[in-house]
Amino acid sequence: MPEDVLDPLPAEEAAPIPPAEAGDGYQVRLGAFEGPLDLLLFLIRKKKIDIHDIPIATITRDYLGYLERKERINLDREAEFLFIAALLIYIKSQMLLPRETDLAEQDDPRRVLVNRLLEYEKVKAACSVLRGREEAQILQWRRNFLPPLPGESALDFVEVSLFDLAESFFLLMKRRAAEDTRIIKGRDVSTEEKMKELLGLLRDGQVLDFLAYFETQASLEEALVSFFCLLELVKTRTAVAAQDEIFQTIRVWLRKDTRRAGHHE
Amino acid sequence: MSNELRDIIESLIFISQDPLSVDRIAAVLEGAAATDIQAAVDELARGYAEAGRGIRVVHTGGGYIFTTHPDHDRWVRKLLQIERRNKLSSAALETLAAIAYHQPVTQSEVSAIRGVDSTYTLKTLLDKKLLKIVGRKKAPGNPLVYRTSERFLQYFGLNGLDELPSEEEIGKILQEEKASEG
Repeated sequence: MPEDVLDPLPAEEAAPIPPAEAGDGYQVRLGAFEGPLDLLLFLIRKKKIDIHDIPIATITRDYLGYLERKERINLDREAEFLFIAALLIYIKSQMLLPRETDLAEQDDPRRVLVNRLLEYEKVKAACSVLRGREEAQILQWRRNFLPPLPGESALDFVEVSLFDLAESFFLLMKRRAAEDTRIIKGRDVSTEEKMKELLGLLRDGQVLDFLAYFETQASLEEALVSFFCLLELVKTRTAVAAQDEIFQTIRVWLRKDTRRAGHHE
Repeated sequence: MSNELRDIIESLIFISQDPLSVDRIAAVLEGAAATDIQAAVDELARGYAEAGRGIRVVHTGGGYIFTTHPDHDRWVRKLLQIERRNKLSSAALETLAAIAYHQPVTQSEVSAIRGVDSTYTLKTLLDKKLLKIVGRKKAPGNPLVYRTSERFLQYFGLNGLDELPSEEEIGKILQEEKASEG
């Protein structure tokens, strides 16, 4: 049987917990621990306690001391830490119950907690092994992990189909539909005008950001018209539309040969 | 052993995006014996290691792949303009370790081992593809069951779960830790 008796839990004058600044030099805040088991394990090691024979009162006192030190309260974490605190106190209460015969080891109320701690201790040890491996691994670069070299604008994008364009457009329409549609803009936009504007923007090898461009359109009608123009340009193979990855913006530029010939101007 | 076999394998590993297993190589090189392929791969890897080259053939994730030499990390990062590579958070690492040794497991089992709610961490690890869902447990609520993925092995340079430190090795680590503290 452990020799300790449950002290009244930290009253002001009896409180054996040193304030964080003084004491034994440890200034550990709750945030430094992964969880209540981590904290418990830390306290057990610090005091060089045999994990199979934990003096529950001492460890509970220390444990609660740490809980009181913490500065910020995060309810979720708080609950987890308090759960173990409650468990500790429950175990102590079980141990204080008078019994006719001595407890067999199997019936030690601490057993459940000890098993959890032993299991957790193994996980922590495995963690340190895995961390070591991780540190060794991240120094070795593999080609498929590499992002494209910065500063190089790759031109070998996937060329998109009219369907991809349409899909992006509907996405955009949806976004615009959410806008305030009561304001009626009075300007009529013709396809010819829009085509001219679009070609103007694409001239001299300019690359146009598809989504950004449509965002700038004043009205839904104008956006529609410019979309038709773009479809036309892609269909006649005057312009190239390309996309890096799905859901990313589509970029548009003129094909080199048409740029030279300039037959749309 | 023919140099040709070794050289073909070198090409295959070079072009492969993921670690290339001996089985895959055997499937490509119809007729070559697995033992010959293994010997050729070993010779290839040894050749790179002994010549002190900038790249190496590494055995990971159950296959072979080229990687840069660890000593050249800073130059590679400079080229790629990457300040540093992110490591897993300690919560993520702890969750992975718990799962690696107890799989297949459910979220609540992982949380019980850690003493901490692990729902969010599990989600992040799933996103990183270090975990996979392998089904549901026939238990109240039919919770999802998790396992570590192929990518998990590759990430830590392992070729199988049996390469994780064993019970005894873990025990030894714990004793060493205690000894260094005492």
